Amino acid sequence: MSAIVATSITHRFGSEIALDSIDFGVDAGEHLAVLGENGAGKTTLLRILATATRPTYGTLEIFGVDAWAERRRLRARIGFVSHAPGHYPALSAKENLEFFCTLQGADPRRVAATIEMLGLSEVADRPAGRLSRGMQQRLAIARAVLHDPKLLVLDEPDASLDAEGPELLKAVLRGRTAVIATHDQALANKLCHRTLGLRRGRLVGVPSRLRVVH
Amino acid sequence: MTRYEKAAAGAVALMAVAAYFIFIFAPEDALQHQAQRIFYLHVSSAITAYGCFAVVLLGGIGYLWKESLVADRLARAAALVGVIFTTVTLVMGMLWAKPIWGTFWTWDARLTSTLVLWIIYAGYLMVRRLAEPGRQAARFAAVVGIFGFIDVPIVHFSVTWWNTQHPGPVVINDALPAGMLVAFLITMACTFVLASVMIAVRYRIETLLDRQAEGLHAPAPVIPAGEVSSAPR
Amino acid sequence: MRPLSVAWAVARKDLTSEWRTRELVPALAQFIVLALVIANFGFQFDSHNATAIAPGVLWMALVFAGLVAFGRAFAAEREQASLEAMLMTPATPAAIFAGKALAAIILLVACEAVLLPALALFFGVQVNASVVLTVLLATVGMAMLGCLFAAMVARVKARELLLPLLTLPLWIPFIVAGGQAVQAEMGGGSSDQAVALLLDFDILFLVLTSLAARYVLED
Repeated sequence: MSAIVATSITHRFGSEIALDSIDFGVDAGEHLAVLGENGAGKTTLLRILATATRPTYGTLEIFGVDAWAERRRLRARIGFVSHAPGHYPALSAKENLEFFCTLQGADPRRVAATIEMLGLSEVADRPAGRLSRGMQQRLAIARAVLHDPKLLVLDEPDASLDAEGPELLKAVLRGRTAVIATHDQALANKLCHRTLGLRRGRLVGVPSRLRVVH
Repeated sequence: MTRYEKAAAGAVALMAVAAYFIFIFAPEDALQHQAQRIFYLHVSSAITAYGCFAVVLLGGIGYLWKESLVADRLARAAALVGVIFTTVTLVMGMLWAKPIWGTFWTWDARLTSTLVLWIIYAGYLMVRRLAEPGRQAARFAAVVGIFGFIDVPIVHFSVTWWNTQHPGPVVINDALPAGMLVAFLITMACTFVLASVMIAVRYRIETLLDRQAEGLHAPAPVIPAGEVSSAPR
Repeated sequence: MRPLSVAWAVARKDLTSEWRTRELVPALAQFIVLALVIANFGFQFDSHNATAIAPGVLWMALVFAGLVAFGRAFAAEREQASLEAMLMTPATPAAIFAGKALAAIILLVACEAVLLPALALFFGVQVNASVVLTVLLATVGMAMLGCLFAAMVARVKARELLLPLLTLPLWIPFIVAGGQAVQAEMGGGSSDQAVALLLDFDILFLVLTSLAARYVLED
């Protein structure tokens, strides 16, 4: 079953082309790594997959429906970790998660479980602005899994994470479909079933549908 | 000559016809003398400008509702022409006011709302230019255009209401003898034609600009799907 | 995540942030007091023309404070990232927008709580319940419009220039009606008509901005 079907995804910023006719698919439960240099278009692609940005051209289907048309409902099933933290520095980690829980319409009891899972228990009541970079990244990941999404879109999630990071990510990804942008080939090998290469907005190598996983 | 050039020449010729009616056919006003002749173009410009902004409103709604690129282009073209005619209205108004009222400006309802109109659509043009070209610019401009169009009658009403609370001089006599009415209607019609031609020309320019921006993008060659080349686990 | 609870959660979050950092309200309060002091020296007023000048000073201070307050609701980079984080949920953009506008209104009202007494004190004018009501009604309408355009210009270049350019024409009806109301009240007359007008404007723009919010906040 396809979780993601991307056809001719093209994105322009003014006259600058960030993504050029990208075609690929991701099956349910599959973890896809998107590799590429800075400026290759990874962030743009991930933002499009998370329905944060609408592509200039092309069609995107997530869980069988048009991603943009159904974006509001889809967002309950997508977790997105972007470059910018997006949490509120004056509020504590716990308060941040409670707030997003309300917006997601998720069960408030998940806040405690998520804090536990991401190892944030000790700093849960500290203002988010005063957390270390690593903890802030964990908070961002916590926010992304709070509502138990079926699809995770992670933009360089390993940045700033300490040595425990990859194991943490592995646990977080379990049972979900995921698309991860990273520089780190080793991390991609550890976490993902398949890779997609991007260079200057174009696919490098040949993408195709995955055979059924496990 | 292309058809645009022919249309433009025709519109200019019509304006010359209007000029005849304004300066030669229409009788001189008893009170205001020659200065009154400004009125024909001044009022025609004002009405034409409002008409242009109505097109901007419809174009904006059309874009937001149907994502119609044609509607957006029409709005762009009409906004520019509308601002030009609003500028003409304001300048002519000031030229007329000085000999008649003794001052270039007064804060009555019509002048105030025309100035506000100018500011709103100057803002519209700026937003178009400064926002991210494409969807964002079109969307934001549509919102500005819609709010702006609704705002102008409200401003007009507010200032009129204010003036009833603070009665002051300012009366404009709108009764028109037959000769003047004919001249006015003809000028009105010619100005409409001029505006339509200007919008059509600008629309064409916008279409070409859009195509040029898109033309920079040459789609990547399609690679036939083959077997997966997985990264090693 | 019903819209009302979303809006309230967003407002509460903004207000809590402001309470803990205390950035905006003191700055605005200072600005307002400064405006009053300058007005004193700029307008030669005495006990006779105070009631004529005070309304003008009130609205000028409100307009400039409003531009700052609403601009800030969406301006900061981190605000943009946070805004996107909020949009990446099933919550409707209109509800998020309403929450941010509500927070901005409350913050501005906090400043008005300084402005009005100070005005009464420095200018010796009467600030009665009608004046307060007028100012509150105008604040709501101005906030909805100000926040809508602040959200728009936040992602556009030259935002400091664009925000007043876009917002002020839409605030004119509020300033006209509000100015008239305050003038009437301070002069001993009745502001009922003006207040009714303000209410009408509020309702109109409340509806319009709610409809427009999603086109401005989202792609």
